[in-house]
This record gives sequence, structure tokens and C-alpha cells, in this order.
Amino acid sequence: MTSAAVRVRGLWKRFGQQVAVAGIDLELPSGKFIGLVGPNGAGKTTTLSMVTGLLRPDQGSVEVVGHDVWADPVAVKARIGVLPEGLRLFERLSGRELLGYSGRLRGLPGAEVDKRATQLLDVLDLAGAQHKLVVDYSTGMRKKIGLAAALLHNPEVLFLDEPFEGVDPVSAQTIRGVLERYTASGATVVFSSHVMELVESLCDWVAVMAAGRIRAQGTLAEVRGEAPTLQQAFLELVGAGARDHGSDLDWLGGGTR
Amino acid sequence: MSDATTSASITPVVVRLKLSLLRNGLRQSGGRRAAYVASAVVALLFAALQLLGLISLRGDAHADSVVVLLVAVLGLGWAVMPLFFPSGDETLDPTRLVMLPLRPQPLVRALLAASLVGIGPLFTLVLLLGSVIAVAHGAAAYVTAVLALPLSLLICVALARAVAAANIRLLTSRKGRDLAVLSGLVIAVGAQLVNFGAQRLGSSGLAQLDPAGEVLRWVPPASAVGAVDSVSRGSYGLACTQLALSVGALAALLTLWSRTLTRLMTAPDGSTLQSAEPAAKDRTAAGGLARLLPSGRTGTVMERSLRYVWRDPKTKAAWVTSLAIGLIVPVFNALQGTGSVYFACFAAGMLGIQMYNQFGQDTSAFWMVAMTISTTRDAYVELRARALALLVITLPYAALVTVLTTAMLGDWPRLPEVLGLSFALLGAMLATGAWTSARFPYSIPQGSHKNVAPGQAGLAWISIFGGMISAALLCAPVITLTIWSNVSANGDQWSWVLLPVGAAYGAAITYAGLRLAAPGTARRLPEILAAVSKG
Repeated sequence: MTSAAVRVRGLWKRFGQQVAVAGIDLELPSGKFIGLVGPNGAGKTTTLSMVTGLLRPDQGSVEVVGHDVWADPVAVKARIGVLPEGLRLFERLSGRELLGYSGRLRGLPGAEVDKRATQLLDVLDLAGAQHKLVVDYSTGMRKKIGLAAALLHNPEVLFLDEPFEGVDPVSAQTIRGVLERYTASGATVVFSSHVMELVESLCDWVAVMAAGRIRAQGTLAEVRGEAPTLQQAFLELVGAGARDHGSDLDWLGGGTR
Repeated sequence: MSDATTSASITPVVVRLKLSLLRNGLRQSGGRRAAYVASAVVALLFAALQLLGLISLRGDAHADSVVVLLVAVLGLGWAVMPLFFPSGDETLDPTRLVMLPLRPQPLVRALLAASLVGIGPLFTLVLLLGSVIAVAHGAAAYVTAVLALPLSLLICVALARAVAAANIRLLTSRKGRDLAVLSGLVIAVGAQLVNFGAQRLGSSGLAQLDPAGEVLRWVPPASAVGAVDSVSRGSYGLACTQLALSVGALAALLTLWSRTLTRLMTAPDGSTLQSAEPAAKDRTAAGGLARLLPSGRTGTVMERSLRYVWRDPKTKAAWVTSLAIGLIVPVFNALQGTGSVYFACFAAGMLGIQMYNQFGQDTSAFWMVAMTISTTRDAYVELRARALALLVITLPYAALVTVLTTAMLGDWPRLPEVLGLSFALLGAMLATGAWTSARFPYSIPQGSHKNVAPGQAGLAWISIFGGMISAALLCAPVITLTIWSNVSANGDQWSWVLLPVGAAYGAAITYAGLRLAAPGTARRLPEILAAVSKG
């Protein structure tokens, strides 16, 4: 359990003048449920894209389970599963076809793909919609089919970008159940979110990002420190906790006018 | 509130609503206003010219056939228009009025009146006016015309409304929006057919229309105009039947529309209900397709590519355009006697374009492909499978078009060399297509009529035109050989050799192109993904 699932060194990414990721170092332990938290625009998606090989960093190195993402893609791509945010799926395929396509592209035998697809569709409550085109799916269903596609080849590390964004509570609970079962078997889940309650209840390891930098990383208890909740600790870490709004909006509430 | 007062008040309200919607739409932007004014001017100018043409047709022996055909086409246009331009008229969607306490009869009347406002109805009115002037002779005919004119206009409008109401679920759904993407295509192919028809008419006279006119004069809304013609000829009984048919059609359309409207406004919205699970036939069809394809990545990629040709509206539109133009250019030219068998290569060229910007066609879903490409070999197999999927359709189609063109021109001795040339060109297009797909990918924005994202037009032009010129250059050896076989003294004996040579050359150059494109694809995956994810 001491080996790192993901090791990031001096990772940089600029988009024109904008620095999205400003030289981060990360060491994510394997076999854990890891939350990458931060406000919108903190660089979470950019970081996850670079870690998974979907975006080329300007500088720095990324290792996943001991293999360099850019030097050894064969070893890395077979070991990771990804659910990106803001990228499409092949939406003109039905849910089942999408899983079949994704699994076969990864070189799994057809019969095995079909067997796993059936089980995943069942567990994720998608069996009833398996022949519907993904373009007609709701947000929650898309996240679930994306998760199924990411899990199909039984990866060692799973990267999920905002897996609970726009997902209804029932689907969220389903996704949660699947992920908990998956990490219990020794696999690693890295997911990004800005919902602290969720991260606090799910994760045993947290990295806090703000303005392209890592502000804290460690076990939940370490990051939380003295603060009563992760939310509180997070607000202090990103420098939003001390903001005093005492005199602003003093007209608001408390009767008429 | 009584029924009488409701019906008295709702019609002007709905007409005013339509006018406000029109006005507010124009107020949104200067460009839209300019477009509207321009289209109005063009439509009215066109209508005026038609009016003059129809009036000058008065007295022509075939005037009746022309007029009847024109009105029938007009009616067809009204029936089809709402399917392709559902967003053009917001009052077309009666479900927006669902919360208002309205009775069906007054509502139908009001919506019908509102439908008569706009450029379309005005255009139709002018055309119908010209039509009745062209065929009306004598007082009785003019009296009939006064009846026939509003009758046919109402049939057109009611037809559009009935079709729109019956399909409103489709039109507001994803399938309806998919259909709208194909509308430009229907117009383009339709224009080709009209152009061809006009050329035929120009060469062989209006008498050709008579058989069609004989049938269509009984079909509403053309039957109303047919009645005017019948009265002019003194066949009053015939005229009565034709008028009765028209009135009957109008009544039937209004009843149908009213029924659909009532159902639409009282039944729950279908979009909130779980739609039924599609039947298992889809699965077996796909299973059949998969069985024929090779296993592994090749078959998987081919299956997805072929599914997308049918299911993705953008891909489908591009394919249908290529297939249609690839057929129309050589075959119609052959029909008109101006063609050459070499025009058949057009089919191969047009279809080869589909190999261009392969990854752009994936949109940002390309990440799913990128995640599974780790080596140059993976990239090569991916590109090869896409080329194979293309060949499954293209190879037989290009061969068919070539054979068809040759048969029409009766130039059988040239068939082998034209086929050879087609295959060589196809190979060159696949090769350059694969290479530019890797080197110059660009986004195809979904859900709009645009085929290039803003800022990438240059890239698209470089990719397509550079590629096509290179493809032509790459074919130079085969072209030279073809020319040689035609000019040299005993070259004709050897022209059959061009078929195997062309095919082998095409295959070899495709292989080389894929081999060259693969390393770039594998190396530039993040760059390709970024390029195809815009818009």
C-alpha cells in the first residue's frame, strides 16, 4: 500500500497567458479513494487530462503505477480507466454498443466484453435503456455509461472528472456503491469534485487544488487538521474562509425595505 | 365566456401574436432583418416573374398541364416544409398554447388565419393568381377562379399545419433536429433534379407534362385550379367534381388537424414518458453485421464507422451528398449526351472525400479512441479499419456508377481503364485522406449547419483542397498510362491492363498513405483531440 498509484513532478500547463497548472507535485497512494478538490477553474480537469495522457503538459512528468505516461503509453493506457468531463462519447451508439465498442478496442475478447457489459449495465441500472442511443440518455445515465466504459477492462487506476456533477441522488448512490466495491478490491480511484461533503464521506485521501497549485495533500484527517469539517478546512486553504461580508448586503432580510 | 365571444376574439389575438413574433424575431439582429428582407424581395421577385410567365402562358395548348403541375409542386412544398424547417414558425407548435383554455374549433380557425400571414402564403397567392389567369377563359371560369383561389391557398396552409401537428413530437425531438440537418441536402439534390427536368423540358417541349397533368388535375390542391380549366373548356360536371374534391380535401385536412390538436393538447407530453424499449431487431441486425466483419480492432472500428454513416446526421448528410453528386454528375451528363466515361471517376473522387478529417467526424468522442491507441501499430489498424469501412460502400458504388455510365454511353471498350482510373483515384484519396486526418484535423460542430468550427476554416481548406490536388498528382502515373493507351497506335490492345494496374496502384498507395499517417496519429493524439474538440 506504500507504492504510489500516481506520481506527478513539476507539472505545468499554460493556455496563452493563462497558467492553468503551475508546477504541481503529487503523490497519490494506491488502493485508496482519492479526492482532488478545488473551486471551479482551479485546474482539476487540466491536471486529470495531463495525468491520463489526453493533454500534453508543457513541462513535468507523470507516472502511473510506475510507468511514465508519455514514454510508455502501452503500459499506462491498459492500466487506467478514464471518465473525462466535457468530452463526448460516441453518442450514436446504444449503451450496450458503446460498451462493446470500447471493450473490443481495448483488445478484450468479444464474449468477455459482452458478459462484463451485461453485468455492468445491470449493476448501474442501465439494463432497461441498453438499446437506447446514448444521445437520448440523461446526464446521470451518461455518467453511468461512461463509468461502465471506464471500468470494463478492469483498470488498476480509475480517473473520474466530476463523476457526480448533475447526477440525481439515486444514480449517485449507485455510482458510489460500484466505486466502493472497486476500491475495496485494492484498486485506486482518483476523482475530482467541488462538493466537500461528498469527498469527506467517500475519500480517505485528499489533494486540495486552487489557482493551479496544490495547497494540501494527505489523508482526510491530515488535510482537515483542526477544522471541524473538510469544507471549513478547504475554505481556509484556498483563502476564502477569512472573507468578511459583514457590512455588505446589510439591507438584505430582516423585514421590509 | 361563451363560445361565440371566444371565437370572435381569439383569431385577431393569434394573428397579432404571429405578427409580434415575426417583428421580435427581426428585431433581434440586423443580420436576421437583412436576411428576411432579402428573402422577401427575392421571393416576391420570383413570384412576380412567375406571374408574368404564367400570364404569358395564357392560351398555350399545354398551359393547363403546366399550371396543374405547378400547383401540385406548391402543395408538396407546403406539406414538406414544416418537416425541414420546424423552428421557422413558433406558432406552428400548438403545445405552447396548451395552458390556455381554448376550444378546438376556434383555435383551428385562429391558427389557420395566422398561417395566412407571411411571405410564404403571399408567394403562394401570387402563384395561384397567375395559375388561374393562365387557364381561366370566360365569365364562368372567372367565377370559379374566385372560389378556387382561396380554396387552394387554404388547402396548402391546412396541409402544412396538419403535417406539422401530426409530427410535432418528432419535430421537437432529437430525430426531428437530425432531420433538419438533412434539409440542405434535400434542397441541393432537389435543385439538381429540377435543373435536369428544366433542361429536358427546354429541349423537348411542354407536351411532356401532359400525362402528369392528367393525373394531378384530380389531386388537391391542383384539382381546384383544374376546375377552373374544366369550366373554361365547358366541362361543368368535371369542374364540380374537382371542386368537390378540393372542398372535401380541405374539410378532411381540417378535421385531421383539429383531432391531432385536441389530442396533443389534452394528452400528457410524450417526452416525460419512458419510451418503449426498441425491439430486438436492431440487435440482430447489428449482430449480422458484426459476424461479417473481421474480429479485433478492425471489425470493431468498421462496425462503428458504418453505424455512424447511418445514424449520425452529419455523417449521413455528407455521405448522401457524396453518393448523390457522385452519381448525378456522370449519369446526368451521359443522359444529356454531353458526358464522357471518364466522368465516372467523379464517384470515386466524391466518396474518397469521406476519408478526410476522420477524427474530426468523431468530435471530442475521439478521446475514447485516443485512450486505446498506444503504438503506431494501433494507429495503423485504426486508420486501416476506417478506410476499409469506407471501401465497403465506396468500392461497389464506384464500380456501379462506372458500369452504369459506360452502359449509357455504350463505350464498353473503355470500361477497364475507367475502372482502373477510379480505383487508383480512390486509393490516392484514401491515402491523402488518412494523412491529412492525422496532420490537419479540425472540428465539425454538432447541432448546427456549419461543417467547420470558427477559426478552423483555413485548416479545412488546406486539408481538403491540398489533399485533392495531391491525390490527383499521385494518380499521375495511371493517368499518363491511360493517355498513352489512348494516343499510341496499338495502345487500345493494352487498355485492359489499366484495370489491374489501377487497382494495384490504388491498393499500394492506400497502404503507403496509411503507413505514413500512422506514426503521426500515434504521436499527436493530444493535439488531434484538442483540434477536434472545438465547438
